[in-house]
Amino acid sequence: MNIHRLTLPLAVTGCCLLAWHGGVRLSGSDLFPTPGDVALGIVELGRKGLLVKYIVASLFRVTWGFTLAVIIGVPFGLLLGWYGRAFAAFNPLIQMLRPISPIAWIPVAILWFGVSDLAPIFLIFLASVFPITVSAIAAVRNMQPVYLRAAQNFGLSRVELFRRVIFPASLPQIITGLRIALGIAWLVVVAAEMIAVNSGLGYLIIDARNAGKRYDLVVAGMVLIGLIGLVLDLLMRQLEQFDEVRWGYGNR
Amino acid sequence: MSLKRTVTMVAAGWLVVITGLHVTLNLRAAIFQRRETAAQQFRIGFLPVTCHLTCPVTDFINRSQTGQGIFEPVRFSGWPELKEAYLAGYTPATFILAPMAIALREQGVPIKIVYLGHRDGTAMMVHKDSQIYRIEDLRGKRVAVPNRYSNQRLLLFKALRERGLNIADITLLEMPPPDMPAALYAKAVDAITSGEPFMGQTELDGYGRVLYLTKDVWPNFISCVLAVHENAIRDHRDQVQQLVTGIARSGKWLDQTVDHRLQASQFVAKHYYNQNPRLLEFVLSKPPDRVKYTNLVPLRKEFEEIERLGREAGILEGTAHFEDYTDTSFAVDDARLPAYAWEAPAP
Amino acid sequence: MATDNTTAVTVRDLWLNFDTVPVLERINFEVKVGEFVCLVGPSGCGKSTLLNIIAGFLPCPRGAVRVANEPVTGPDPQRIFVFQENGVFPWLTVRDNIGFGLTRRTETERRATVAHYVEMVGLKGFEQSYPRELSGGMRQRVEIARALAAKPSIIYMDEPFGALDFITRLKMRADLVRIWQQEKQTILFVTHDIEEAVQLADRVFVMSPRPATITTVIPVNLSRPRDLDAPGYLETRDQIFDALGMSHRLDGAGT
Repeated sequence: MNIHRLTLPLAVTGCCLLAWHGGVRLSGSDLFPTPGDVALGIVELGRKGLLVKYIVASLFRVTWGFTLAVIIGVPFGLLLGWYGRAFAAFNPLIQMLRPISPIAWIPVAILWFGVSDLAPIFLIFLASVFPITVSAIAAVRNMQPVYLRAAQNFGLSRVELFRRVIFPASLPQIITGLRIALGIAWLVVVAAEMIAVNSGLGYLIIDARNAGKRYDLVVAGMVLIGLIGLVLDLLMRQLEQFDEVRWGYGNR
Repeated sequence: MSLKRTVTMVAAGWLVVITGLHVTLNLRAAIFQRRETAAQQFRIGFLPVTCHLTCPVTDFINRSQTGQGIFEPVRFSGWPELKEAYLAGYTPATFILAPMAIALREQGVPIKIVYLGHRDGTAMMVHKDSQIYRIEDLRGKRVAVPNRYSNQRLLLFKALRERGLNIADITLLEMPPPDMPAALYAKAVDAITSGEPFMGQTELDGYGRVLYLTKDVWPNFISCVLAVHENAIRDHRDQVQQLVTGIARSGKWLDQTVDHRLQASQFVAKHYYNQNPRLLEFVLSKPPDRVKYTNLVPLRKEFEEIERLGREAGILEGTAHFEDYTDTSFAVDDARLPAYAWEAPAP
Repeated sequence: MATDNTTAVTVRDLWLNFDTVPVLERINFEVKVGEFVCLVGPSGCGKSTLLNIIAGFLPCPRGAVRVANEPVTGPDPQRIFVFQENGVFPWLTVRDNIGFGLTRRTETERRATVAHYVEMVGLKGFEQSYPRELSGGMRQRVEIARALAAKPSIIYMDEPFGALDFITRLKMRADLVRIWQQEKQTILFVTHDIEEAVQLADRVFVMSPRPATITTVIPVNLSRPRDLDAPGYLETRDQIFDALGMSHRLDGAGT
């Protein structure tokens, strides 16, 4: 069964690669790279020692931006989900800030954080914190009332209620929110690295544009971003396997 | 292992690992320099275009001769980020489009143009298969310019007007210069104009044809200038002077012989611009006066023409004047200035 | 109003409206300590609502509810409520669920109590399992064990076996009675299943359809374990049928 789970996606991807190669050759385009060109581009980056440096730089910024978003977003979302007045107070603000693309925040980021790692980390934080907060709020509000009644029956204090019932009951939905937010954070890394940082996969793509005809490196950057995004998503899915949350994901 | 345990351990471990890797691989230089020297704090913004060539050239020659530079060049990917870094105070001096500097001054930004970046060095390219052979043929066509506040746009405005046409007779688009060659290749636009080497790239790759070189339409065309923040002028006069003198000397060096330009192509492409040296060679030498780096003192007459055109094109208000946005006290008469006496070592 | 120590629960003159719709009318009864009382009525008549009010989950706007001679102001660990389904916390193991109310005890005490009740409800061997791995009946056992472990004086049960199949229900009833005879709590048990009431209760309170009131109180004078073939069984059952206005034949007549 495991073989089948690998062969099907590999076969589909392989067909897409062939179609890509064929499409480029047929169109006679001088600029768009074939899969082979892209692979050579990746090898070139490896030889220059840039591959690891750039991947590390982007992962570093996403790690810290995402971590800050979790640390702030989860408790904030839980509180807003529980306290109706806090929700009424903050929700309009959240809904207003949420649709603003991180790209629009770039000038503000430069003004506040200068030209350093802090600016991309800030942008990634912004992109991630909203899905996390929103899913935490939804998790609390959609919680089975039965759990709350049972907990109140046992005479739990407010703090104990949060720690022993509200938080564990919300966790499956929060993890789903984390998975979505991580995807968004990794997606935003290209925009976030448009500020004059000088490392990272997003920077690679932008710099390759400026270098003239290096579309092979542009697509190489895209491919690397895609592959790492896939790995991150798979890792997050592993979290859903734990007993403490597996109950929340439907029956398969 | 429980979820809580796993997550805490993995998260803590990952944070330590990735931060450690990032610091060692990418930040080591910044961390281990205890204090930035004055030169390192004096950051100059530039884009990887031939308009700003004197910036890396000055830096490279100085570092080769004395072992350290007189300023810290910072490369940006586009005009917006370069402008924002200047506004945020990150770069006390920067290469910038002349009309953009004037517009910033009109908006109250304390900016002073101290020197020019180059003369000429811009072209308009069309697709070699197109039927556009004269400027008049641009009627009804799509033309890409780098920025509303660019002299390329003003030049186009002036060229069209001299032939009885109006800017409204063409479709004008703003596009980042690195994207222009591909757009022309795909015939998404009919004509592109910006600084080099993006124009020369289309020629080198065989699908672009020159419609005009600026030297044929607006002689001694100026596009990019060197601008400095008023605070830097007030507090670091000697550094600003050193900067301008250095720019002037490298300009003279570049214009001395074609061989110097070929040398520059090599080290600038590799160490500063991350571009193909062949491209820079082409743009700097064919023809050799495609772009010039001497005669760079800001002149009132030329800027007043820019002001006038800017007002007529609707991008400048006309509230700033030559004295407001220039400071020519640093400009050196390059007739009396020696060029750098330096040759690149044989590869 | 009787105020001696043998009365566990007293309800006096309880009325309830949802907006303008009357739901409960003139509810009056007493439950003695150690009694097993069933509230029977058609679905939707409000018996669950009544139980929730007595347990303290809903406010009592008109009338008085007293437990152990104190007015009820909210839920209390001395009176544990067993829900029809999903009452068990899915993120905890069987062992942690049962021990949920025992955090103030010492580690050894807690372990001993949990082990005791795991065995009593017949779930030995499943201590480390999670609720999603158990059948519906087993989950209800966990909830009952959790209620018992907290050593309450009263247990409120809201159709706890309603989601289970017939055979499992019979087994669960037998186990419940066995445990009750050992532990001797007061139990208020809500059900729409008339047979269930006869099989379990000391007294049956029959409720009318909405707006509900207690129409009849029927004592069940049968020995335990209840024999489904005993003559008194059918008689008692038919008394309840009559109180509900239902026919003894399957012709759909009556309530």
